[in-house]
Amino acid sequence: MPTTLDPSVLDTALFIPDLRTRRKEPVLQEIVARAHGAGVVREPSLLVETLCLRERLGSTAIGKSVAVPHARSIAVIEPRVLVARSRRGIEWKAEDDLPVQLVFLVITPGEFSLETHHEWVARAVGCARLQRKRARLLEAATGEAGTAVLRELMA
Amino acid sequence: MNEALSLLQLHDLDLLERELKDDKAQARLRRLGLAMEPSNTLERARQRCMESIDRRWLYHYERSNQRYGRGVVAVRDRVCQGCHITLPTSRMPNAKGALTLCESCCRVLYWA
Repeated sequence: MPTTLDPSVLDTALFIPDLRTRRKEPVLQEIVARAHGAGVVREPSLLVETLCLRERLGSTAIGKSVAVPHARSIAVIEPRVLVARSRRGIEWKAEDDLPVQLVFLVITPGEFSLETHHEWVARAVGCARLQRKRARLLEAATGEAGTAVLRELMA
Repeated sequence: MNEALSLLQLHDLDLLERELKDDKAQARLRRLGLAMEPSNTLERARQRCMESIDRRWLYHYERSNQRYGRGVVAVRDRVCQGCHITLPTSRMPNAKGALTLCESCCRVLYWA
């Protein structure tokens, strides 16, 4: 399985510049609905359920206002990294108690190996760890600008 | 949730459980700050799913899961995503979301 992120993985349609909701589950629903609209998810309700179950096994907030929810699911048609931004912040049970402002949703199909899935997750985490990278994503004015920044950061 | 969706959820739950029990995977996740803690949440969800699935499908699911590591696979462009054989048009179900068996590998097929 390829582990590099080709440009289609960071589709412009998959950057959400301002989330409408502020709670974890509706946020996941909103992002998954976007992925469904882009044709990369076949059963959105199933994927949301899987992501919520994963959250119950341990919060995916990694601190510094970032969360990386992730799932390997039969509901996923194509692997994707979706990034969503919340200006107001989302309560995500982070260890540092900071509300989450950047959500990196990593989804891969069930046929992907666990190692490949984790490589994708690691790329997203790596992109989110440095303050200057987070700042660039938070400051991007539009969805297109955000995607361009993300493409550069994850290259 | 209908029977097909319950079976798909069972598949996802089993992938999660495998991830949880894999020490190397857990070490990787801990390094990333994404540790998972064992919980009976998965087992409860699994029981709920199994209650709404016909025993025939459960039998085929468990059998394929033990043999291949995945009990149900999606069909894309008439190709089984488990063994990659092209399925005959005569085996295509009338409705989307239907379950059938792959004639080659016997995995449960989900026609998306």
